Amino acid sequence: MPSRPDQNAARSVHERERPRLVPADGGARDPVVTASSLTKRYGDVLAVEDLTFSLEAGTVTGFLGPNGAGKTTTLRLLLGLARPTAGEALVFGRRYRELDDPARRVGAVLESNDFHPGRSGRDHLRVLALAAEISRARVEEVLELVELEPVAARRVKTYSLGMQQRLGLAGALLGDPELLILDEPANGLDPAGVHWLRGFLRRFAEQGRTVLVSSHVLAEVAQTVDQVVIIDRGRLLTTGPLADLTERGRTLEDVYLELTAGEAS
Amino acid sequence: MTAQLRAELLKQRSTSTNLGLFLAMLGLVLLAVLLHGLSLPADRLESASDQVEVFRFGSLLGALFAGLVGAMSITGEIRHGTIRPTFLMTPRRGRVVTAKIVASGLVGIVFALVAVGVALGVGSAALAARGIPITLDGSDYTLMPAGGIASAALWAPIGLGLGALLRNQVASLVAIVLWLFFIENLLLDFVPGAGRFAPGAAAAAITGLDRDTLLAPAPGALLLALYAAAIAAAGWIATVRRDVP
Repeated sequence: MPSRPDQNAARSVHERERPRLVPADGGARDPVVTASSLTKRYGDVLAVEDLTFSLEAGTVTGFLGPNGAGKTTTLRLLLGLARPTAGEALVFGRRYRELDDPARRVGAVLESNDFHPGRSGRDHLRVLALAAEISRARVEEVLELVELEPVAARRVKTYSLGMQQRLGLAGALLGDPELLILDEPANGLDPAGVHWLRGFLRRFAEQGRTVLVSSHVLAEVAQTVDQVVIIDRGRLLTTGPLADLTERGRTLEDVYLELTAGEAS
Repeated sequence: MTAQLRAELLKQRSTSTNLGLFLAMLGLVLLAVLLHGLSLPADRLESASDQVEVFRFGSLLGALFAGLVGAMSITGEIRHGTIRPTFLMTPRRGRVVTAKIVASGLVGIVFALVAVGVALGVGSAALAARGIPITLDGSDYTLMPAGGIASAALWAPIGLGLGALLRNQVASLVAIVLWLFFIENLLLDFVPGAGRFAPGAAAAAITGLDRDTLLAPAPGALLLALYAAAIAAAGWIATVRRDVP
């Protein structure tokens, strides 16, 4: 595996400090993620409708909306698992399936339990590493990074939900990607796990990398992200830096409830 | 593609699914061969073609289980959701399907070799125990393993293609078993003129079985190869074009 310096986004996972956000490079670069007029229809249901937004490098973006708002569908479109009915979903300016080495550009976790229950955590990662031509050493590295080394030989069915979340994250990190896309990663994590994840995502972004994390747990998001994309019923409600949305003392929750309530009426 | 093939082979090795299938196949081979070899009347076990009816269960069950391995290799991933990380690592999905065809074909060949070998060994022992001389000749001993290997190598992509089309694990496995052991028997019994062209009958033909009803080995192999290519291609196209579950 071609190794880049500083493979570990979160080398010291016990690190306590939460450094301030370092702005990216002024937004001069091309966007890492672009959705343009993205639309996905399932039968009569418009899961995603004319959605346009973009993300720049070095940001952590919260992708928010009620259950069923179209968050997961949007992520699946970005990752080439589903085909848009109209519009375009690009990562690094290309469709996901046209990336030369997708595992080294993008890491993603869509479901918390996409594992064969009878396969060990280590073998799960080795399978993925083989497919992407990633070294065995890197498998051990990510196991250490997510603190699963002691249970790596055990079958996944013996894992707690938190362990499964971390195994999924380990799989996404195998290629040491520049963009991390996570769907509801905090589900099933205990408070220590949530704290760990938050620190991890911040450190990841401070290296100039990009995170798109969907969630409906606003309190969690408000502490982690620097910008938000809020959607409901497949449509964009708002997008922008968290600081702009929450000025004048309003909380993210206020903004979110106002927007989604306006949509419902 | 070699990267995907290596990944697929590790998938095949790293769970106990294949061991379970393998043991089930062995048990069925033993049961079928022993029941036929020990309980058929001696006067129905004299000619080579009679005796092939005893040994045939090796290649038949080898082909069946190769089909099941093929179906499991895609429906298992869909069932457990590993299809998502698989296609995130290799978004050019056709490469994954091709690797699965090769990997399950290889596993299927190993299954078939063991099944044919066990059937020959146990069947010969059963006949010897009854004092019935073995009348098989060299061509029988060549055709049985060759037919077993060819049927398994071709039934694996059939299973895989069917699994890719149906996507449901139980439905795929049940469909394969029902087809081979029920529907094709009905076809052969009632419309043999059509039944001999069915994929299971084509597999049996490769083994040199029952030349009166079935095709000769070479046309049987060709026909089965056409089935395998058509069904695998349909599964390949479906996998590449449809949204991932």
